[in-house]
Amino acid sequence: MIELKGNSLVIRFPEVHPQAELRVEFQRTLRIPDDDKTYPLPPGLGKFALEHVDDHAAGVPPHWLERGGVMLPMYQAEAMWLRFASPGAWNRSKLPYPFAIKVAAGKQCAVTGESWRNELHRDQQDYMVAPDQPWLDGFCIEKGVIRQFVAMPLGAGYSAEEQLTGKAEHGGLQIAVYPMKRESYERLCKKQRTISDMVKDCCLASAEPTFGFHRKRSADMGLAPGGRMRQEIYDDPYELGDWDLENSSRCFVHLCNSLVWQSITGSLPPHPAPTAKQYTTAGLPWYDYYDERATAVDGAAKLAGLKSVRQVSDDKGDVALPENESVTPECIVTYRKGLQPGQVRETWL
Amino acid sequence: MSNFGTYIRQARETHRAKDASFSVRQLAARVGIEPSYLSKIERSEQPPPSQQTIERLAEALGEDADVLLALAGKVSDELQEIIRRRPKLFGELIRQLKDAPDHAVLRVVREVRDGEW
Repeated sequence: MIELKGNSLVIRFPEVHPQAELRVEFQRTLRIPDDDKTYPLPPGLGKFALEHVDDHAAGVPPHWLERGGVMLPMYQAEAMWLRFASPGAWNRSKLPYPFAIKVAAGKQCAVTGESWRNELHRDQQDYMVAPDQPWLDGFCIEKGVIRQFVAMPLGAGYSAEEQLTGKAEHGGLQIAVYPMKRESYERLCKKQRTISDMVKDCCLASAEPTFGFHRKRSADMGLAPGGRMRQEIYDDPYELGDWDLENSSRCFVHLCNSLVWQSITGSLPPHPAPTAKQYTTAGLPWYDYYDERATAVDGAAKLAGLKSVRQVSDDKGDVALPENESVTPECIVTYRKGLQPGQVRETWL
Repeated sequence: MSNFGTYIRQARETHRAKDASFSVRQLAARVGIEPSYLSKIERSEQPPPSQQTIERLAEALGEDADVLLALAGKVSDELQEIIRRRPKLFGELIRQLKDAPDHAVLRVVREVRDGEW
């Protein structure tokens, strides 16, 4: 079951295990420059507002109601990253429950670029594993490099979906979550205890403007590939058979610009995010995350062939990115495997 | 109200038994308050802090923010606004459910509806 709580999706599988709970947050962030540089991770600037589409049945397009799910407002001047959090992640006495997570934009997998399928696939891994993967910022284009999720009007030709399929059909973002099988989790807990005991014995001995160009009448927005960023998508350390494919939950996240959001909900979204230049000039931190023990998956050839928003814009002769100055992040906070308490990417401006 | 400080201290010390970063000083730094203020809160020498600080404490300690706010004798602005918008409806709902067991209340939890896509 998926609940909407505090602008987060809380996904629980009480029928599988009482610990089987995952929180998915959609963090607002600045658009990193879309140039030839590869940037560290930008900060989280607070959660996007999330609402049930059913709550605005009179104002949303009929196809949104068919798909169900939730909706969020996104300025074209900002970007998004996803945070996967397990409630018990900081409680070291309990092993956080593992989940396999599929993320797609316009029903095109953000990891492989393949069209949406409801199952998990391992030959070309089309999912991520939480809690090992704490964040996802974009499309996996190379090993250790992603292109940032940025919102563009569906139908303008920028979205990954349009570039991959030639159609502007779905837009939005899609998520499916699969819990680990109970028996596999319990086996993992036993193994963890054994390791923990061994360590103990051993020791005894010794944290809008919409740009106006190509504004479509459609309410839908799609995610397009923005600037390059260092981020690894980790290989699944478990077996495919460890995932409970019988118990999954999925959600369609509809994206709309601030004006559409305001006309649907009657409320204003927050101010747009600062530009990368404003943020960097203020000396605020960027982030890096490494897990030396995990293996990163290779970038997907399909996604590697995507053109960034700037590249499409140049081809079309548009001015999609009025604020796209390169920056040199100097203040970079580096986190190592397994986030510790207080190791967050959120910055309060 | 004194339960709040005791609860925070116990939660912090439970974490600290396994993780030294849960000292008063380090937790206070993560939450954005002075260590001496956190110490006084824990000893109930100061009333519970603001809603924002309580929410940050909840995040840092892995606790539920609504539970901590209730211990502090508060109800979040968000919940108050929900009730203020439809007072009759939610007043009735809460009264109807006040004595229901948890599993019965959970049955009325609203799920995000998945459709055809």
